[in-house]
Amino acid sequence: MKKLLIACFLTVMMANAYATPEQDRLALRAFFQERFPKLDLNEMINGLYAFDEGAREQWLEMEDFPPYEIAIEEGEEAFNTPFANGKTYADCFENGGIGVKQNFPYFDLETGEVITMEVAINKCRTDNGEEPLPWLVGELAQVAAYMAYTSRGNKMNVVIPDDPRALAAYEAGKEYYYTRRGQLEFACENCHMQSAGMMLRADRLSGMLGQATHWPVYRSKWGEIGTIQKRFQECNSQVRAKPYEAQSQVYRELEYFLSYMSNGMELNGPASRR
Amino acid sequence: MKRNLYLLFSAFLAVLILPVSALAANAEDYVAALEKAQNQVCEAATKVQLWNTSEALLEKAAEAAAAGDFDEGIKLANEAGLHAELAVATAEREKKNWRLYVPK
Repeated sequence: MKKLLIACFLTVMMANAYATPEQDRLALRAFFQERFPKLDLNEMINGLYAFDEGAREQWLEMEDFPPYEIAIEEGEEAFNTPFANGKTYADCFENGGIGVKQNFPYFDLETGEVITMEVAINKCRTDNGEEPLPWLVGELAQVAAYMAYTSRGNKMNVVIPDDPRALAAYEAGKEYYYTRRGQLEFACENCHMQSAGMMLRADRLSGMLGQATHWPVYRSKWGEIGTIQKRFQECNSQVRAKPYEAQSQVYRELEYFLSYMSNGMELNGPASRR
Repeated sequence: MKRNLYLLFSAFLAVLILPVSALAANAEDYVAALEKAQNQVCEAATKVQLWNTSEALLEKAAEAAAAGDFDEGIKLANEAGLHAELAVATAEREKKNWRLYVPK
């Protein structure tokens, strides 16, 4: 009985002390609206191009013949090619995998894990007797690009179920985002909130809102299409922190939090960036 | 005066004939420094996200030692350990502070 009372007390304290995910999301939108009063926040799905008119024009011209187009085609072909057992990716996803990206990542109540789209794609493969694909670039990113393409225009709809493990995963991702790290002691927040829209060397920094809507991305710097977790690793290296493994629990939780913050925003992946 | 000069000359001579090995670090010193640094890095890695410099410094330390430059090897190993300690210090500080940056 005593333990139960303590647990209840702690639960109430926690509930009062910390904001809910939805409160966080609304506070974040208010933060950006205050910082950029004239900006339509929905434009932030276009990253730095929401802030930089000149760069936006160049980007729009590039979008006439987008560099990720080949990745979508190759992804579609891979998506429709049957596995050795005759099944395809479509058999593993709701609605045959078409237009479902807005629901990723989700919290799997059975395993207690955050499932990103890339994890789901590889799970589909291993469940059907195929080898998993490398996480960051190549065929996995291409299949993800095709699936993202079929989801364009849908609104991000990441769900945090009423389960303490899901909330803990969300909170862990949030803590990661706001924690300074690496030799340069930068948090994700330092660049993508405090300094969003400002110049970092030759480029403007994108804002946190809408950061999860447009992946996978063809980055000119990479010369190929890659996943959001490739970018996480790159960001970590840039602040001189040792990156985690792709699809590690830490990065999955980070993606979970980051994606939730973009809830309600339009999906526009795959995209191209410098 | 003559005695003082004699003493000075003796001291100078002693420095000259002191074995070089007594001044320069040897492989044993390096191994001790490396083990200490490795322990610091491993311990930090279990707690926090390391800087990407620590392991690179340990590799450079190994290269220096392999080339026979144990002084440089020890210096780099010590630096690797220090970077691991600093990563832990940042993480401990941020554990208390990160919520301050969240918009409310």
